[in-house]
Amino acid sequence: MRLTHLSEAFVRSAVYERRFLAKNPWDFAMVIWIPLVTVLMIWWIFSQTQITNLPIGVMDQDNSPVANTVVRYLEASPDITVRQLYHSPAAVEAAILQRDIYAVVIIPEDFSRNILSSKPAPLILQVNAQYGTHSGIIQKSVQSVASTLSAGVEIQRLVKQGMAPSQAAIAYSPISIQRISLFNATTDYQQFLASTVIPALLHILAMVIGATTIGRELRDKRIGRWYAFIDTGRPDLTALVDSKTVSALNNKQKRSDATKTSSAVKKNQQVSIAVLLFGLLGKYFWPMLAYSIWSALALWLATPQQTVALASVIVTYIGFILLMMLSFWLGAIFTLSSFSLRMGLSSTGFISAPSYAFAGVTFPYIAISDSAQHWSNALPLTHYLKLHIAQLQMQAPIAISMPIIYGLTLATIIAMGLTAVLSKRALAHPERWGAR
Amino acid sequence: MSSLPKNKPPMTPSQSPPLSSSQSFLGSFLQTLKDIFTDKGVVLMLIIAPIIYGFFYPWPYSTEVVNHVPVGIIDKDNSNLSRTIVRYASASPQLNTQRFVNEQDAVEAIWSNQIAGYMIIPSGLEQQVLSGKAASVSVLGNGGYFILNKNVQLGFLKAVSTVSAGIEVKKNVAQGAYSPTAAKNTQAVPLQIIPLYNQTEGYGAYVVPAVSIIILQQTLLMATAMLVGTWYEQRRHMTTIRGWLGRIGALSMLSFIIGCFYYGWAFELHHYSRGQNMAGSLLFLLLFCPTVATLGCLLGLWFRQRERSLQILIFSSLPLFFISGYPWPADQLPQVLQFIRWLVPTTPAINTSVQLNQMGASIAQVAVGFYALAGLWAFYFALLLLFRWRTSQKISAL
Repeated sequence: MRLTHLSEAFVRSAVYERRFLAKNPWDFAMVIWIPLVTVLMIWWIFSQTQITNLPIGVMDQDNSPVANTVVRYLEASPDITVRQLYHSPAAVEAAILQRDIYAVVIIPEDFSRNILSSKPAPLILQVNAQYGTHSGIIQKSVQSVASTLSAGVEIQRLVKQGMAPSQAAIAYSPISIQRISLFNATTDYQQFLASTVIPALLHILAMVIGATTIGRELRDKRIGRWYAFIDTGRPDLTALVDSKTVSALNNKQKRSDATKTSSAVKKNQQVSIAVLLFGLLGKYFWPMLAYSIWSALALWLATPQQTVALASVIVTYIGFILLMMLSFWLGAIFTLSSFSLRMGLSSTGFISAPSYAFAGVTFPYIAISDSAQHWSNALPLTHYLKLHIAQLQMQAPIAISMPIIYGLTLATIIAMGLTAVLSKRALAHPERWGAR
Repeated sequence: MSSLPKNKPPMTPSQSPPLSSSQSFLGSFLQTLKDIFTDKGVVLMLIIAPIIYGFFYPWPYSTEVVNHVPVGIIDKDNSNLSRTIVRYASASPQLNTQRFVNEQDAVEAIWSNQIAGYMIIPSGLEQQVLSGKAASVSVLGNGGYFILNKNVQLGFLKAVSTVSAGIEVKKNVAQGAYSPTAAKNTQAVPLQIIPLYNQTEGYGAYVVPAVSIIILQQTLLMATAMLVGTWYEQRRHMTTIRGWLGRIGALSMLSFIIGCFYYGWAFELHHYSRGQNMAGSLLFLLLFCPTVATLGCLLGLWFRQRERSLQILIFSSLPLFFISGYPWPADQLPQVLQFIRWLVPTTPAINTSVQLNQMGASIAQVAVGFYALAGLWAFYFALLLLFRWRTSQKISAL
């Protein structure tokens, strides 16, 4: 009997919400279109998975065959492309300021003379370090060109001195280094950025939905009616035929409504936490369903390149769904604790929008200042992304990520309970409904 | 909470005069200022939020440069040479080394994020080097985190190269070369790197000046659309062309002041490259703020509800940042996006602001950005007029 009452509350609430979503295109878009477009768009933004052909300039003050070799080597590097040869520093500066080029390689006057006379012949790279991504890639490429040139010059010199070429290579560099990138060996930005930015964005969207779904009932002073309906089925909020009748009814009831339902609630003196909990689950049922699908889509996009163990994908998916659930409840908590949809959305935005910066993906966690690390640890996204990268990219054993799953589960359960408690509190204070 | 919206039942246009707000530029300007400052929600979004973000966003990046990355070393050789390599690696400011007995332990440490990579010195390394055979060490970095991986690779590379060069020098000297000459010769073509503008190559100094423009845009957009949405609910949104200009003027003025806070104080506080072309930067703000405010008015009329702007716009900062061409080169974007991205102010604005304020370009050098912003402003304003014309048509038809 009790259980059927609870399941009725769930079903009534879900039907009520379905009806609302069908009639409100913006709220519907937040559940369906906006997340779908966001996931696909972020994936699309990074569809060229590597950065290539960054434009640089060359200022050749030497004009020798060796200098031409330098330019050829630079052009051969896939990451950069030599846009233009410049003859004056002023022209170079203007080109950098206009962002025609992001760096210039200067070949000094006595470059070839120094090489021929066995002196060090430095190249100069001026790079626009304000553009960090561009600058990093250009520095790496030009550095590797310089190393190749160095090796060539050195080995040639040793060979000229009568050494066998194979021996010369060893003599030039007695200890060579095998540089290996474990995981994401191709520096694939889709794997690095797109696959981690998508959960961050779905997290933001889910928190916003969490804040609005309960927040609009508070704002419109309908939360009392909503509870009465899920608890008793009266007034039947789903039977109304069209929005006109709804608004007519609203206008008629508006003034008396808040006081009436609250007095009804008070009369009974029993807002049941269990009914509220099931009602809330019903209310958030559609977004939860939709975001489970978007999470699956995100993981499907993030996995095809590599062979990831099925168990890893499943664990990541569970973590993803937990993150989404937690986000819904957190958004609801922000709204319910402030009694205001606007305030709930403001706090949600303040916390969730910059959370990717704190998550330790682009700027590593160990480098984040100590005080900011506490904040980072308090954000659920940080933990989820740690799990995401460990499971999908590093192919770590599942056991390593299980504590994160437990943590997210615990946080979700606590947040859900808190949402129900705060909803009960909100029901008890009808005088605070309707805050904007 | 807020004192402004009284939650009156919405009046239909027939019940109230549709043009109930101030019609003149100045009247509308002052009315808007009054409405802003009597509305907690708008003040929070327009003024307080960007000021807080000025401190909050740079917070994780305050160390600026990544150093002391924890790494592992597996020394299977245990010779004088391998110990020298370990010593050099430990001395590197980029690395924070710890010893591991075998590779399995090191990999597990990577999985649990205790280290970001490790180096394996194979057994027999010293022997091979002494007998003039090819010898190598392996450096394995965690490619899941790009910046960490770069640090691991570079830190070990420098340490090993120094030791390797020492051996080369010793051999050359042994073969009769004069020691200082031999030392100089180890890199025939050394590369001298001169970082421009962001000379310390700090991460915050790279990312925050650009993100600040996103913050300015998003807070102004949300505040404006919230205000206009509130007016719409109260049926106070209709006004003359001059009235709209007054509203845009008032909103832009406050946002301009916040912009000055970023240029003049927030960047200074965090020691970012700044103020290279201050006059140009201010001129940029003078164009950027009204453009964003106009877009905000349009969105407000579209959303028609006070809270809608927050609901719809909160998530958009990250995608807008990625298509701006700043963190990710614009010409690597898909073709269609390369066009669509020009519809938002941040696309020209981020680069223009950075070029003026961080790099010191002249206004002529960022003319494209200025034209694009002016074009966007005209475009948004035309849409606003179109909307105004269409609603007044509807009202007169009633």
